[in-house]
Amino acid sequence: MAAPVRHVVLGATGVWRRLERPWASSLCSRSLTLAALPSRTKSPWRLWGALCLQRPPLISKPLTPLQEEMAALLQQVETEKSLYSDHELRALGEAQQLAKKRADLHEEEDEPGILLVPDLEEMWEQAFLRFRPGARTTEADEKNDRTSLHRKLDRSLVLLVREKLGGQDVWMLPQAEWQPGETLRGTAERTLATLSGNSMEAKFLGNAPCGHYKFKFPQAVRTESNLGAKVFFFKALLLAGDFPQAGEEARHVWVSKEELGDYLSPRYLAQVRRFLLDL
Amino acid sequence: ALGVWRTQIRDTHQRASLFSFWELLPTRAEPLRKKKKVDPKKDQAVKERLKKRIRKLEKATQELIPIEDFITPAKLLDKARQRPQVELSFEESERRALLLKKWSLYKQQEHERERDAIRALVAAQQEALQELQLESPELYSEAIKRDPGLFPFEKEGPHYTPPVADYQPPEGRYNDITKVYTQVEFKR
Repeated sequence: MAAPVRHVVLGATGVWRRLERPWASSLCSRSLTLAALPSRTKSPWRLWGALCLQRPPLISKPLTPLQEEMAALLQQVETEKSLYSDHELRALGEAQQLAKKRADLHEEEDEPGILLVPDLEEMWEQAFLRFRPGARTTEADEKNDRTSLHRKLDRSLVLLVREKLGGQDVWMLPQAEWQPGETLRGTAERTLATLSGNSMEAKFLGNAPCGHYKFKFPQAVRTESNLGAKVFFFKALLLAGDFPQAGEEARHVWVSKEELGDYLSPRYLAQVRRFLLDL
Repeated sequence: ALGVWRTQIRDTHQRASLFSFWELLPTRAEPLRKKKKVDPKKDQAVKERLKKRIRKLEKATQELIPIEDFITPAKLLDKARQRPQVELSFEESERRALLLKKWSLYKQQEHERERDAIRALVAAQQEALQELQLESPELYSEAIKRDPGLFPFEKEGPHYTPPVADYQPPEGRYNDITKVYTQVEFKR
């Protein structure tokens, strides 16, 4: 934990030569490098970039009773205002013919080979029943296996990791210390890469942080130039891939917004809840 | 004196074909027409008149691509297709009116909740950006920049059931019969 003043000055001189090549090659704003000298020489706060990786929901939420009623009403009104379809016309015609036959002849001559409407409908019903859609509640839901991604498919899940901070195991969003020469979003992308080792693909939602958390170091560690740290969170949507299986001692967890309280400390939780949508 | 036949036989070794004797004799009865200088001008004038007529027709009827949705197919105008008018009972109409009122209230509350949530999100972001600016102006200016790789962003929304693993779609060919129109632009 070198004093940030010296660290920054050293970094500045060495970083110039490193920066010239990437600056020339990648001029887009997505570049992770900074050309300007960081002038944070007097700030007592250390910077950390954190990653808020969310798995978006795969299925829709179940409808509330009011929504069900309204859906039924809309369907009713739509059928009332519509015209007869070809299938319905055919059904009406056949019903009329049957009625005529029964009234006139009393002989039911069923010509084999002609499919009447009820037979067709039965065939379609059978075909529909043969199809098995995916289950809306998965095994992981029943076992409450929080390390699995296939849990709570109608909510979005956030990744939490367990790290050692000052000797204690603390649950938090994955984070890494900011290094001079990269943007904070670059720090978040570096966290993702170190976590997953390129097995997870994520879409970052913009260059700006979505939230922050400020904390001071405990008295023992605090110095004049090293008061505390500021953590900046960056949102990303998980597109593909999964965390490499850690096995029994998993140090990560995929958790929905309500379950965050089980893991995070109160102040941290309060700040994190601010930028997570409840849906 | 020798006769036309004999004169023709004399130079057969130099002629292109054996029938060139008959080709030499004029077999048409009409006298040959002489080409006049005025004719090409007349032809050009006729062509221009035709072109003008074509242009006028083009101006009048600029055929636009038909919007299929706005044209009711003829088979749907049949009276046999119309449903009988449903007369709602008093209870049914009351139930519908009350349900619509409850629904509008629910939607209003949902909208307010979403609006407040978005406001909170934006406020949190603004606070974070302020803190970042206090820390380092360069990182702040980097954070403010637009991300060109963000849009266009396409993602398939949530469905009713999750995707089935190892799903085998039914075999068959897909015949696309959509009509594709191209607008013909008439240039002046």
